[in-house]
Amino acid sequence: MSGLTFRANSAPSERLNLSHLTPKRIAELSQSELMALNVGTTTKTLKLGDVFTVSGSAGDSVRIEGATNRMDFVGSDLKEGTVIVEGDVGLSAGRNLRGGRLDIRGDAGALLGSGISGGEILVKGSAGSLVGGLSPGDKFGMTGGLIAIDGDAGDRAGDRMRRGTIYVRGRCGSFAGSRMVGGTIWTELGFGTDPGMLLRRGTLIGPSVERMLPTFADAGDHDIVILRILSRYMASALGSAAPKALPGKVRKFAGDLATIGKGELLITS
Amino acid sequence: MKVNGIEIDDTFAEAFGMAGTGVIITADTMKWARIAAVTMSGFGTSVIGAGAEVGIDRELSPDETPDGRPGVRVLLFGFSPESAAAQLKTRVGQCVLTSPGSACYAGVDTKKRIGLGQGPRFFGDGFQTSKRLGKSRYWRVPVMDGEFVIEETTGIVTDAVGGGNILILGNDRVGLLETAEAAVEAIGGVADVITPFPGGIVRSGSKVGSKYAGAIASTNDAFCPTLRGRVKSELAPDTIAVLEIVIDGLTSDSVAQAMKVGMKTVLDMGAPKGVTRITAGNYGGKLGQYHYKLRELLP
Repeated sequence: MSGLTFRANSAPSERLNLSHLTPKRIAELSQSELMALNVGTTTKTLKLGDVFTVSGSAGDSVRIEGATNRMDFVGSDLKEGTVIVEGDVGLSAGRNLRGGRLDIRGDAGALLGSGISGGEILVKGSAGSLVGGLSPGDKFGMTGGLIAIDGDAGDRAGDRMRRGTIYVRGRCGSFAGSRMVGGTIWTELGFGTDPGMLLRRGTLIGPSVERMLPTFADAGDHDIVILRILSRYMASALGSAAPKALPGKVRKFAGDLATIGKGELLITS
Repeated sequence: MKVNGIEIDDTFAEAFGMAGTGVIITADTMKWARIAAVTMSGFGTSVIGAGAEVGIDRELSPDETPDGRPGVRVLLFGFSPESAAAQLKTRVGQCVLTSPGSACYAGVDTKKRIGLGQGPRFFGDGFQTSKRLGKSRYWRVPVMDGEFVIEETTGIVTDAVGGGNILILGNDRVGLLETAEAAVEAIGGVADVITPFPGGIVRSGSKVGSKYAGAIASTNDAFCPTLRGRVKSELAPDTIAVLEIVIDGLTSDSVAQAMKVGMKTVLDMGAPKGVTRITAGNYGGKLGQYHYKLRELLP
């Protein structure tokens, strides 16, 4: 895997917009154009060359080293190739990702993967609120692809999500799957309070719920075939990092009956 | 020419282009996956009379199926993608959806797709939901034993082949049937082919046309032993029975391989069972675009 490496010289003096740093975009730029890219978010017009030292040659990957949570929009609009981030990222990492892989080897801020419609986002640490959620001005949150988080996810993961899968090896915060229209959120350590508020369709999977909304109806224990397919899909997408296959039987709660109620909350323990 | 005492005619099997598709049916046990597959394949012998030619390609281990349960791959062949899709919809809706514990997935992976769950999902009466995982979309239809899961589409092969065949002739009807059964079993080991007739064997080979108006095919009198002496027979005086194995395949190569395997079995075991001759059905090469010369398929 060849590509350019961007090493941060020091902690940025302002929030950075790194949406330009995808393999395809930078391949179209000369070295001087690349170093002159405006990555600042204030009137100082901070240039890429002011912040990063660049090495390597353009290829199918981009590596960002020394990243901090002041670096926003990392890997946004990625269609193919890989963006690897050593460190943390700020807001809206992987925004509108359509393909390829964003590999964050630290924590991610809010709105991770908002608007993602394909590809994969992997986070070694934890993520902030609204993972795969709705950004202002959008009609839906995530509409496809896979977001896998090794740590925890903040509140309102999957807000108005329509398709795709969010997997959280840790715990989800409160209101996971709020206003969700479809897709899957799977947590290994459980949901916070009130998951699935105004859930229309879609699946929430976890071992426990801190507080269940009264608008979810107990549908009993079931062996649900689609969960077997989901487990296999995760195994093929994540390889050795895939979660253990889901148990044969889960307890199903149907909801949110305050809306059309075609969603489900599946308790695995 | 003769091999192991069996005469092999210098002729060819004439086969036709068809549209071929497939599904994987799974269930809690292989028994129930097979029941659903056999039911779906029923009345799927000749595309002319049955609308489609349908059969089991092979059984699949849990490792080979999308949901990790035992499964069976069924292939279906029709005149066109549209007619194959219509047959698939009806057969899956009536025979697989209804079978306890079943699920149904794409069994052919091609860019061109036809509907699989697009019809049966409406059985859910609005309670059905879908889930997209990767490139596939699955429908979950509530039924009385849980949920019927069915993939939205399956692939379709537009250059599939229907009507590969071998005719086995002999002087012992029981021995001939045993030989044909063994050949069908051997063909079962070839991927991407089916033998759609009962037990894979046809005893009623047909010719084009009939003396009766409205019948597009009728008995192949030249190969009927009891008509010897009354018609221009193709049979030797000691031939008392003829059985045919018809083969459909997703590729021409798979049909050729199946014919080869079938002929080898007949040649290996046929002579002591009363097999005297192998030939093939054709229309003079004018109707079908695929010709399989028997002597080129000898093992």
